[in-house]
Amino acid sequence: MTRLLIANRGEIAIRVIRACRDLGISPVAVYSEADRAALHVRLADWAVPIGPAPARDSYLVVDKLLDAAKKTGATMLHPGYGFLSENAAFARRVVEAGLTWVGPSPDSIAAMGNKTESRRRVLQAGVPIVPGMTAPARSAQEIAEFGRENGFPLLLKAAAGGGGKGMRVVRSAEEVPEAFARARSEARSYFADDAVYAELFVEHPRHVEVQVLGDATGRIIALGERECSLQRRHQKVLEECPSAAVSPDLRARMESVAVAAAKSVDYVSAGTVEFLLAKDGRFFFLEMNTRIQVEHPVTEMVYGVDLVAEMIRIARGEPMSLREKPAPRGHAIQCRIYAEDPAHGFAPSPGRILRLRRPQGPGIRVDSGVEGGDIVPLDYDPMIAKFVAWGQDRDEALRRMRRALAESRVDGIETSIPFFLSLLDDPDVVANRISTQFLDGWTYVPKRPAEDVAAASMVAAALESMDGAKKRRPPAAPGCGSGPGAWRTARASFGSRE
Amino acid sequence: MKFRTRFSDDKAGRALDVTVGAPSFEATLEGVPLSGDALAVRDGVWSLVGPDGRQIEVSIAFQTDGSVRAYAAGCLFGFELLDELTARALAATGGGSTRRVAHAAAAMPGRVLRVLVAPGEEVTQGQPLLVLEAMKMENEVKSPRDGVVASVEAAAGQAVSAGDVLVRFEAGGERG
Repeated sequence: MTRLLIANRGEIAIRVIRACRDLGISPVAVYSEADRAALHVRLADWAVPIGPAPARDSYLVVDKLLDAAKKTGATMLHPGYGFLSENAAFARRVVEAGLTWVGPSPDSIAAMGNKTESRRRVLQAGVPIVPGMTAPARSAQEIAEFGRENGFPLLLKAAAGGGGKGMRVVRSAEEVPEAFARARSEARSYFADDAVYAELFVEHPRHVEVQVLGDATGRIIALGERECSLQRRHQKVLEECPSAAVSPDLRARMESVAVAAAKSVDYVSAGTVEFLLAKDGRFFFLEMNTRIQVEHPVTEMVYGVDLVAEMIRIARGEPMSLREKPAPRGHAIQCRIYAEDPAHGFAPSPGRILRLRRPQGPGIRVDSGVEGGDIVPLDYDPMIAKFVAWGQDRDEALRRMRRALAESRVDGIETSIPFFLSLLDDPDVVANRISTQFLDGWTYVPKRPAEDVAAASMVAAALESMDGAKKRRPPAAPGCGSGPGAWRTARASFGSRE
Repeated sequence: MKFRTRFSDDKAGRALDVTVGAPSFEATLEGVPLSGDALAVRDGVWSLVGPDGRQIEVSIAFQTDGSVRAYAAGCLFGFELLDELTARALAATGGGSTRRVAHAAAAMPGRVLRVLVAPGEEVTQGQPLLVLEAMKMENEVKSPRDGVVASVEAAAGQAVSAGDVLVRFEAGGERG
């Protein structure tokens, strides 16, 4: 039986383990000292300790990972996402060690990992990038001309700049002369260099990305787009497939551009081409992620594919199993569930999960890295699960996601579930009036409980604090207890105080 | 048993009187009678069924500062729950919910990245005392009061658990 080592932890390690099982491959886990009891270890056939809790001493140490593969006889390696997944040097070491790297070639990773190199490559392939001047502006007139050609608003930037210093938004040709003068003087005082250039300022953009899949035969297909505009601290929190802002015509254009970008680096495996989508329908290349992404399940639900299994097939040199490009069906939404406290500024909330009730039922998929009783360590990313809801349309997917969030219970640690319950009630989110800045201006306001819920909670807390209150437990087996029985009649219910 | 209970954004509290405990509880909340079947499913998890059949599942957790956090019907909320005697004692001393805290504690487990204050130092409410790191994020522990630092109980690099005392204040060291 082929063995595949997963150089990762948490939910993505488990996701790869599941693909291995489906393909008849024996999964090999690695674990740090903080993860000995982790679920990904217990679901694997083989497990190798790789050092102390900090990732730099364990999950990021190439030699330890290669030794673990050697020790267990693994012949394949999947990097997951994060950690070393987009590290070309690591991919090279894996290949040199005689292992099969489940991902794109080290050269593709290197080309797309370099900002200027990737831009050069995709530009040659005809992929649009945000229009910008290629040399500093010599006059205000030059900038005004650039604006007439590419549209306003523009962003004036110091050529020697960075970190937002010396940047200036220009909304019309009339504003150019003064803005140019000011930007130059700011650039001079910040960076001792008054060179200034202009680029198109994409206002309230969406983040829309296209999933691509390529195999060793040179075939590359696109599997639709994902809407990932809802981001907090530059971290995606909710993703959808398809994007309600993308028409069939726009989808076809984005897909063909994404395939061209992938072809520019001879891409093999699953990858994602990220775009900025402007309000006027123009879209611009941001970067290509040369790995599986956190939000891949929404594409899997809508296109009926197993992207991780395809990655493994393709790595073995087989053609992808999709003879024809699958047609999309319905709508899928993913919420990233983090161990953090929405009521206290999203502070991390590691610790032991006393109880975990996962949502189930029609249209719901849960990819989780933990189960009830597990400890969420404080050493790693706080994402503990991904809830995915599928529906015939966006409305049904939203309703199912609300049901899933309300049904689930996590006791012992705080999670972002209440945040999502509020977010999915927001009229702008429901109507899909969002941009990448949407959550910057959105504050989580805890939902106020209805009076009966508040009263029940206060009574429960009082009973819990009273001596002997906890003595009554559910019967050990059906029929053993006396049952509730003692009903009060004609008394006010919890909801009586209106 | 008599309690005073109060939402954090409510000025006035409410009187909760539990006359019969679980399983068939009887209580009044500000004079409104409540009754039903209360099942302790497990520690901190209750299922309450009212006489009209209304069922509510509640998860409750008592916090280190004496407040209660509850999760029910998709709402996460906090409230105070004091037994009548404590509530009266606090009211008599003008304490209310603004009890003088003697220390600052860790709200969550983490590692101490930096200590920002030293014994003898005067601090104001809201001033950062230490920086904790957990899950790749830095979080400041802020002073819960004005006062003078008596001792710092944690050092940089040290792992701490939720509720661990990090900084103690001098008794009566209130300024301002």
